[in-house]
Amino acid sequence: MLSRFQYFKPHNLNEAVQYLDKEANSFVLAGGTDLMILLRRNVINAEHIVDIKALPETGVFEYTEGTGLKIGAAVVVNRVVDSEVVNSRYRALHQAAASLASFQLRNRATVVGNICNASPGADLPPALLVYDAVVNIAGPQGTRQVPLHQFFTGVKRTVLQHGELVVSVELPESGEGDKSIYLRQARLRGHDLATVGVAARVKPDGKVAIGIAAVAPTPLRLFALEDQINARGLSQETIEWAAEEVKEHIHPITDVRSSAAYRLQMASVLLKRCLLALIAKED
Amino acid sequence: MAKAEYKSKYKRVGQRYDRKDAREKVTGQAVYTYDLELPGMLYARCLLSPYARAKIVSIDTSKAKALPGVRAILTGEDSDILVGLYMQDKRVLSRGVTRYQGDVVAAVAAEDEETAERAISLIDVVYEPLEPVHDVDEALEGKILVHEDINELKHYVGVFFPQKDSNIASWNKSKKGDLEKAFAESDLVVENDFSLPAVAHVPMETHVSIVQADPFSNKIKIWSSAQSPFAIRQIMADSFGVSESDVEVHIPYVGGGFGGKAGIHLEPLATLLSKAAGGLPVKVRATREQEFNQLPTRAGMRGRIKTAANKDGKITAMQAVYDWDSGAYADYGVNVGKTAVYSGIGPYSIENACIDSKTIYTNKVFSTAYRGFGHLETHWSIERQIDILSQKLGIDPYEFRMMNLLEPGDKTMSGEVITESSGNPKECLTAVVKEIGWTGRKTEEERQREWKTGKVRGKGFAMLQKAPAMPANTATSVVMQMNGDGHVKMMIGAVDMGQGAITALSQIAAQELDMPIEDIEISAQIDTRSNPYDWNTVASKLTFLGGNAVVKASHELLHKMKVIAGQVLRTDPENLLHANGEIYHPHNPNRRLSYKDIALGYMYPDGSGIGGPLIASGSVVADGLTNLHPETGQGNPAAVWTFGAHAVEIEVDVETGSVTVLKVASAFDVGQVINEKLIYGQICGGVLQGLGSALLEGYKFNKDEKLMNPSFTDNKIPTMKDMPVEIVPIYIENPQHNGPLGARGVGEHPMISVPSAIGNAVYDALGINFHVLPLSPEAIVLGIQSGKKSILCTDVDCLPGRL
Repeated sequence: MLSRFQYFKPHNLNEAVQYLDKEANSFVLAGGTDLMILLRRNVINAEHIVDIKALPETGVFEYTEGTGLKIGAAVVVNRVVDSEVVNSRYRALHQAAASLASFQLRNRATVVGNICNASPGADLPPALLVYDAVVNIAGPQGTRQVPLHQFFTGVKRTVLQHGELVVSVELPESGEGDKSIYLRQARLRGHDLATVGVAARVKPDGKVAIGIAAVAPTPLRLFALEDQINARGLSQETIEWAAEEVKEHIHPITDVRSSAAYRLQMASVLLKRCLLALIAKED
Repeated sequence: MAKAEYKSKYKRVGQRYDRKDAREKVTGQAVYTYDLELPGMLYARCLLSPYARAKIVSIDTSKAKALPGVRAILTGEDSDILVGLYMQDKRVLSRGVTRYQGDVVAAVAAEDEETAERAISLIDVVYEPLEPVHDVDEALEGKILVHEDINELKHYVGVFFPQKDSNIASWNKSKKGDLEKAFAESDLVVENDFSLPAVAHVPMETHVSIVQADPFSNKIKIWSSAQSPFAIRQIMADSFGVSESDVEVHIPYVGGGFGGKAGIHLEPLATLLSKAAGGLPVKVRATREQEFNQLPTRAGMRGRIKTAANKDGKITAMQAVYDWDSGAYADYGVNVGKTAVYSGIGPYSIENACIDSKTIYTNKVFSTAYRGFGHLETHWSIERQIDILSQKLGIDPYEFRMMNLLEPGDKTMSGEVITESSGNPKECLTAVVKEIGWTGRKTEEERQREWKTGKVRGKGFAMLQKAPAMPANTATSVVMQMNGDGHVKMMIGAVDMGQGAITALSQIAAQELDMPIEDIEISAQIDTRSNPYDWNTVASKLTFLGGNAVVKASHELLHKMKVIAGQVLRTDPENLLHANGEIYHPHNPNRRLSYKDIALGYMYPDGSGIGGPLIASGSVVADGLTNLHPETGQGNPAAVWTFGAHAVEIEVDVETGSVTVLKVASAFDVGQVINEKLIYGQICGGVLQGLGSALLEGYKFNKDEKLMNPSFTDNKIPTMKDMPVEIVPIYIENPQHNGPLGARGVGEHPMISVPSAIGNAVYDALGINFHVLPLSPEAIVLGIQSGKKSILCTDVDCLPGRL
């Protein structure tokens, strides 16, 4: 690692934001599972590392009936995996979290870090997207909220401006009769990045939400496809149709992990399987 | 896992002892080269070529030199040393040109790793990128030469055959019978191409060496994570022009080898750096990325197999052309290529056959030995070809193989005669085929019916054979000494890199000496100054050769004990027997002496002694081997064949292409199981490693021959979650008359043919013949989508390892 940096661990949000604002070449550290790789491979040259784990706001992990779920930026993925509330009310998020990397990494990696890294193939965004997640951002100009589907601007790029950091992510209430699922395809059973990841949700009113990763420069919420499915009504027939139609809504590339052709096929298969599982009678 | 209980006919050999090194390793007390720190030690870092082939126009090290803490900087201009096992084709540091994107262009030794890394970042190199040799076809055209000086390269004459003005590092050949006539007269001739990409060894401990070599003497002290202490000693002496006795090699515990740590790797660079730094010890450690893109791989390979058979199922002729993409250097690659000419038709009796095996230079990561030593690759070709042939003939693949497998009286490719003592391939096949409940191939109708459910099952199997690939005069030795407490202290020259050698050899000694295995002490740490000679820890040869050396030494020790005991018990030593750590007279068992009483010499009640400390040794050299004839490949290359077979049942998800391995049954004619726990571990590990090659692994290069997956992010290997649902090991025990207690080696064999068996099962499931590896989910789906019945490299764009 060639970077030589100042390590700073602020204890309140103001301090953190001021530091980030003042020091141009600063990087936020939470779990560090992405940051450390960039540092060790000398992809970035950091002069300041701001550890946000001591900020009271980032440690929050709470569910409030009627309001929903709030996950602070220092909450690690395994806490979400272990949460009974997430498992019962935000099933897709539980499944996505449980499939992310390895157990050891999940003990370190944070949910918000998985968003901020803005990898096109990240596991958690599809599940967060179908739950209309909102990102809470703090910066020199105060705080602001951005819906997750507007948060990503490109490969490894987000709407975050200089001096800003994500404090938490919020998911609105998900109650009785709300069902979701996350399915992914990878190269092996052991830990791997998703070749394609698909989350789908059926709300109590029967409306469908679809989130998908690794098929475009950013994780996507497929609003247009959702509208078409909702207009047709969710049925076996619609699902067969949607499994083909989804290919018109995504733009996968060929890279070292997969060809575009296989990603198209997997998006189709996984979407079909997600929706079929959601309309299947419960045991 | 359903596994029949194994019962050994011996008291100590065959039993399920824990590994002797297990406790030290699982408690973290075992010391590896990686852990070692020596006083004054410097740390090295390397600057690697960013291009597959480039001219080095200039190197400016002035900024790096000025960095405090930097103690030595080397570039290609600083050393004339050429290294290589069989071809001296590799400069320790590139001079003039680079030949792959891992070639070392400069190296730094500094007081800490951070300084070394910073110094590397300050070295300015101007390159002129050159067009690389991309693949074996381009290499064979020979328009660009990877080694312009190929005609002058020093090599092992008479065994390897570099071709003039070409990219062929060695062209080895074998032939017998009348091929043309057989092809002309047979009912059916089938020709196919098969290929597979380069893969990585992935040891848990990456390559690491520490060398202390002062510039004022010839002495070179080496600590290394390596499989071959005595080969390192010899090659280092050769390359540096010093005596073997000037070189001392220490091998602490080794964190995995798989062939990748055979020969020499980082030792020469560490030596040059140590000399340049005034003789301070220098540690050179490969990062995980360097382990993938700088250190050698298993070669990619293409096999072209042409086979003739008659309608009745008799194979009449086989022609095999193996092209090995050895990358920039020959290393062990030429020996892998050579091995293919005597093993490359599989364990079949074929009267007319011909093999051409070319080890070819390209500008990719270079290749070396890898568990199986070319046999996974050649069997991928042969065992798929045999299956395809049986499809065309309409004969059951089990019956077809049984009609053609070797049996006593038959001759191998190189003309050796198989005997009862050679082991029995047919018994292996029959056992595994029975285990998976084979009743014949699926019909197209059955396939279609299952297809509708989204999941199709398939069964397949494949044969395997391997003998150690080693020089005709390969030797090994052991020394035994007895401690005052009656324990036997044994020293060997071979390395236990996790395969269990010290446990297996202790068991053989315990069996022969009839004493508890706990009382046999054997160190896994090797020091060439004190340990006796061993050629190389490779080739699955140690149980066989080393085991025989242990038997010899044990017998010598027993003889010496009986001579002393004879004096004490006042009888002819011939009258004495031994059991449970004692020498006794069978007629009058009260006349007995424990080993302990004579360990350091027997002492009479008046204090006088006889005998002195007990020491014995055992030296063994391979028996009856010869070099192969350069044109016909005839000769005796194989000290011991181990035959085996795998049978698998799989389930293919036809939409995602994922293959679930439900069952793997594996049988090997090992002659005699030495340790049932160890062999079971070898089989499970080998099968999983074989599944990696079958379903997952492969180097991917871009059009500039830059490795695209030099890390665990995209160079995946199977995990525990990828284990088959069930593994059934089957041990066949037809003893080898000259093996230790009848035993043969089995270290590499469990990995060989796993891909072929999977490929054959994929055909059974889908009715599609894949000719390329890996059978990744993506390859399966794109293969299905292509609508073709045979899938070659060019049919699916996802496949890595374009050769």
